[in-house]
Amino acid sequence: MNLYLRKIVPTFVTIAAATLILTAVKPVAGQAPAAAQNRVPTPGQFPPYKAPHTADGKPDLNGIWQAFVTADIDVQDHDAQAGPHPEIMGAYGAWPGGQGIVEGGEIPYKPEALAQKKANAEKRMVVNITSDPHRHDTGDPELKCYNPGVPRTNYMPFPFQIIQGTDTILFSYEFARAVRTIYMNPNDKTIPKEAPADSWMGWSHGHFEGDTLVIDSTGFIPYTWFDRAGDYHSDALHVTERYTPVSPYHIMYEATIEDPKVFTRPWKVSFPLYRRMEKNSQLVDFNCTEFVLDLLYGQYSKRPSK
Amino acid sequence: MTNHPAFSSRAVKIVFVTLLCAPAFVAAQSSGGARNAVTKTAKKDTKSAASTKGGTTPRTPDGQPDLHGYWTSESFTPLERPAKYAGREFLTDEEAEAAQKAGLQRAYDRTYDDPAEEPVYDSTTFGLTPALEGFSPNKRTSLIVDPPDGRMPPRTPEAMARPRAIGDRDYIEPDGHGGGIVHADTPRDIGVRTTCVSMSGGPPILPGAYNNGLHILQNPNYLVLQAEYGSELRTIPLDGRPHASANIHQWHGDGRGHWEGDTLVVETTNFRPEATFRNANPKTLKITERFKRVAADQIEYSFTIDDPSTWTKPWTAIVPLHAIKGPFFEYACSESNMDVVNIMAGARATERAAEVKAKGTSK
Repeated sequence: MNLYLRKIVPTFVTIAAATLILTAVKPVAGQAPAAAQNRVPTPGQFPPYKAPHTADGKPDLNGIWQAFVTADIDVQDHDAQAGPHPEIMGAYGAWPGGQGIVEGGEIPYKPEALAQKKANAEKRMVVNITSDPHRHDTGDPELKCYNPGVPRTNYMPFPFQIIQGTDTILFSYEFARAVRTIYMNPNDKTIPKEAPADSWMGWSHGHFEGDTLVIDSTGFIPYTWFDRAGDYHSDALHVTERYTPVSPYHIMYEATIEDPKVFTRPWKVSFPLYRRMEKNSQLVDFNCTEFVLDLLYGQYSKRPSK
Repeated sequence: MTNHPAFSSRAVKIVFVTLLCAPAFVAAQSSGGARNAVTKTAKKDTKSAASTKGGTTPRTPDGQPDLHGYWTSESFTPLERPAKYAGREFLTDEEAEAAQKAGLQRAYDRTYDDPAEEPVYDSTTFGLTPALEGFSPNKRTSLIVDPPDGRMPPRTPEAMARPRAIGDRDYIEPDGHGGGIVHADTPRDIGVRTTCVSMSGGPPILPGAYNNGLHILQNPNYLVLQAEYGSELRTIPLDGRPHASANIHQWHGDGRGHWEGDTLVVETTNFRPEATFRNANPKTLKITERFKRVAADQIEYSFTIDDPSTWTKPWTAIVPLHAIKGPFFEYACSESNMDVVNIMAGARATERAAEVKAKGTSK
């Protein structure tokens, strides 16, 4: 079916046309997918799928996407918990339990690094903003509305938008207005291969392997975490992500995390991304910097005179 | 460069370093960006070519005029026409050159007049590159082209009586001696820019002192405008959908775009009351921007401000966008915001000192 489609879908047809053709040929050419379509889907399994392509022949990943995992709380399996200040927050502030996204369940920490993760978790709400880098010593960056880093930004409980241009792809995240620019043209000499400076969201080059968008990111500052459980990395972090469209409505996401300063071996996370299907769906600003001003700087505010 | 007598020795040193780096840049520039796009498109696409002053309009694979790339709104042209140019729309070539030189000089002065050991805002490294690389000076006497006198129309009585938007307040009140009284009781007193709540990014796109870069990305359904300053994005649907509900207020407004021939037109409404352009009325302000690629290295960008409750009639400005070399770096503002800590800690220290002094005099 895939080969057949590749022949009959010229590169210039629009996404809509491609979708129409897909639907039209399915019963004839695609026995298995057609049968699967009429069954209750099996979680974790998708029938064979070929993504529509853009006008310049690239797999089309444009859209607003969102993960529905609870990995932002803990990338590993975890129970529900009351959350901070249940005496005022009640169920508003409680954190859901969930299954982890780490392949094999465990993160391969070096022993001393595991101790640091535990210390991070204990001080996740200790925020002391100084005018020097010690401001990053304690406190979950999410709590401070800082850029969430990679891959955490992809499993925050907020949508994000993929916008494909000619030589770059932008990832625009609702949480903290985080942005990633993915450089897709390896021949563009104006784009450095190595990160010119370390950053919160990393320096990213991408390419397609079949329908899969592969993004290689390095050049990270050592201050972002993977979750509220204190899972963390160093400035040696190297993330390789794979975004594979598996249906018109789903992308399978996988990230390989390497950081020899913190982990004994590379490890993987994976989960599906879901397309937001609301009519005229758009990101609505979640400019949380406004909401954390007192948390960050309240210690410097004027106190009522004694 | 050395014929600018006012440069300090340090300035000369930095300019020298810039010159040393120049060959690498020239090599990179000739192989990248806008120029390539033009030749490629010209070869591929002959029938949809529209002629412009700069040659064939570069087009995206789906046939739209190509606005992709890195641009700067940097300009030494004032928004409003100075009185000395009253009645004149354009400068002579000599005047335009002189204005460009004077603008560069002001930027150097701003950098090196700072008493700090190292310049705090080094315009020579992150503000002036485009001008130093020699984009042609803007010959207009003002960015405003309508009304024809090059000046903003009068404000309405309603607008004159309107209190300043809370997020736009200034924490320094000039004392008339070059200093100022700092009001920084809480972080909210400091204004949305200094607290990194919202830096800029328009609309409209207007040049500031530095970081005037703009990254444009487009596809058939979206135009994305990424400001270098603050890294903030405006994502504008081009698919004909209506504006978001009046109950949704975005920091850069809610933009909707469409093509009118080879001009991309963007209409923006739904502004935040804390960050409305020039204290306009967020409920009635509509900003219409037009992007037209007029040359390989230039977009003609214009904006029209229409807010009947603030200005007695609409007004329009043209800001040329010049191609620059990318890419941009991440501008993680709040993450590294030392200003708020220092401003507030400074305000508290000043208050403590005043208390101690008051106790001393009362004894």
